Amino acid sequence: MVPPSAPLPLVANGVAAEDTARKENLRMVPPEVYMRTYLQLFGGLLPVDAQKRAKAGDGGSVFDSWDDYVSALGFPDYRFDIPRQTQTNALMVAAFERLGIALCDRALEHDLKGKAPLPVQDRLIFAFDLPKGTVDAKAFGPRFDVLHRTFLGYPAALAPPQRTARFFQLYRDLVSEHAKTSPKSRFTPDEAGWAGVCYGLVRHPEFHLY
Amino acid sequence: MTTRRTFLKVLSGGLGLAAVGLPSRQSLADVAKASETEFFVFIIAAGGWDVTLWADPRNEAKGIVHPASTTNTDTSQLRRWVDAPLVDGEKSFQLVRPAGSNLVFGPGIGDLADMPDRLTVINGLAMNTVAHPDGQLFSTTGRHPQGGRVAASSIDTMLSNELGRDQLLPTVSVRFPSAYVGADLDRRVVPLAIDDVGSIARTVTRAQQYDANPERDLVTAMLSEEARDLAKRSTYPDVLDGLALQYEGVRHMLDSHLQDVFTTGGLQKAHPELNYTRRFTRGAAVNAAFAVESIKRNLVRCVSFAVGGFDTHGNNYRTQAQLQQETFELVALLVKSLDRTPHPLVQGHKLSEHTHILVVSDFCRTPQVNLALGRDHYPNNSALVVSPRFRSNFVFGKTDLEQLLPAPVKKFADGERAIAPPDLLATFVSAFGVDPRKYMRDGEVVKELLRL
Repeated sequence: MVPPSAPLPLVANGVAAEDTARKENLRMVPPEVYMRTYLQLFGGLLPVDAQKRAKAGDGGSVFDSWDDYVSALGFPDYRFDIPRQTQTNALMVAAFERLGIALCDRALEHDLKGKAPLPVQDRLIFAFDLPKGTVDAKAFGPRFDVLHRTFLGYPAALAPPQRTARFFQLYRDLVSEHAKTSPKSRFTPDEAGWAGVCYGLVRHPEFHLY
Repeated sequence: MTTRRTFLKVLSGGLGLAAVGLPSRQSLADVAKASETEFFVFIIAAGGWDVTLWADPRNEAKGIVHPASTTNTDTSQLRRWVDAPLVDGEKSFQLVRPAGSNLVFGPGIGDLADMPDRLTVINGLAMNTVAHPDGQLFSTTGRHPQGGRVAASSIDTMLSNELGRDQLLPTVSVRFPSAYVGADLDRRVVPLAIDDVGSIARTVTRAQQYDANPERDLVTAMLSEEARDLAKRSTYPDVLDGLALQYEGVRHMLDSHLQDVFTTGGLQKAHPELNYTRRFTRGAAVNAAFAVESIKRNLVRCVSFAVGGFDTHGNNYRTQAQLQQETFELVALLVKSLDRTPHPLVQGHKLSEHTHILVVSDFCRTPQVNLALGRDHYPNNSALVVSPRFRSNFVFGKTDLEQLLPAPVKKFADGERAIAPPDLLATFVSAFGVDPRKYMRDGEVVKELLRL
């Protein structure tokens, strides 16, 4: 029997630069993968349950039915020999927006606007509390990082350097625009700002391409 | 504005200069410039139509040809069916000969027979396939698939890439085998493939209870910027650059309030002249209404859609002629609707002067009737063109009398042979100043088809 021992560090024999550049063009994630991820973000629901939650029956009109979106999302349709779409088009991007808005708006209602505060571990997307008062870059950063990891799968610190600043600017613009143009909205300006950041991530090129 | 005379002068100056019948690049460029106000409608009769019922009519039992007859066809709904003797008490049909025309049709042509001066018929198209996906792709791309994969862009993508990059919706493809394959293609012209036109409205509807359009525009603008920045960092930037353009396209789409009109109900209301009560073409009529409305609003360059139900191997062959009649009636109604609609850009012109319609199918059906009283797949085909740039009241190509197989029709660069889909597609795109070689490996411009 070999007795247990502490692992020894590997011995370096030389240093070589690694070429990390992509060797082929980006591809769209297959529509099935998009759908699965979307449902997972919505709490791991079945499609019909996600539809029910998105529609909510409250006159919000953020979602119709899956049937209305499946062809725009690029799913194959074997009834008509229509193959799976492999490249994005403007209508598909519009469908991503429609579905992304439905997800973010309903998730924000679920996570942050309940009668009683929801424990962070039970939240769908917004696994943080909104800061009191004006949000500055310091307060925005860690919260944005939570969303960035959720949607894009890695810390915001590893993203291109301008990303956090760009999203913070978007947040600020949305807060001021919302106060101006949507006085009757169901969201406060701050909530609209966070919902907008969520839209930006769920529609981000890195979310749809790999 | 380019006049018809200018166009013809430019076209005639260029055609026939190259060895395979391709116009010179300069003259093509001039014609392309003259084609920026043109629109296109592509229709596929999905399943494979029986050409003996319309374009290449057969009403006699000759060789292996067993024509449509009162035994295998339900003639009760066919307006152009007039009995003609066949054998053993069976009746076939009398040929339909439009007044003042040399064209001859079968009864499936329906009301389209009333406008022979608008029609160009291509017969004896050599398909070299009897498989549906292969036939559809060959008819629309000019290439057979390679290992099951599409080998070239479809004609709607080619024309959108040349003439429709700046349109809001370059190609809308409703169950049409549109393909985006090859280099030098703008990402904006990826066909918008949908199941029905109503899904456009539903996809661009936006709730107003949570946020407003200016807020969503801010997000979209930021995403466009993100995509461009990522493209700058990427070895292969074109997909990301394309996505940036598509984000911008979404903004324009939402600003255009498409959701108000592009519903089934909205289109039917806007275009009551198209018949929505037919048995087989109700859905296709909505697609035709979409074509007229979106062209009228200068939103699209190409609208492509399918009319299904032509795959009649069994007893359902009895209604093949009725399906054809409804399909061609729809084409006739579409042409009449375009005749009445003013062009959005060229003052004083009607849309029909600048809209070009191509109707194709997978292949045709066997000349003999099978044991199930249907017809199977056969490697011959016909096509229909309604275009001011094509020689109308004209039929090109032929088949042999006994077997309905494509017959040699002219001497091409590779010898005497029948016309094939790549030739038709190359001719079609060249009529608008597009160099077919940019998109197609095969095909030769058939000058005889063009109005010169």
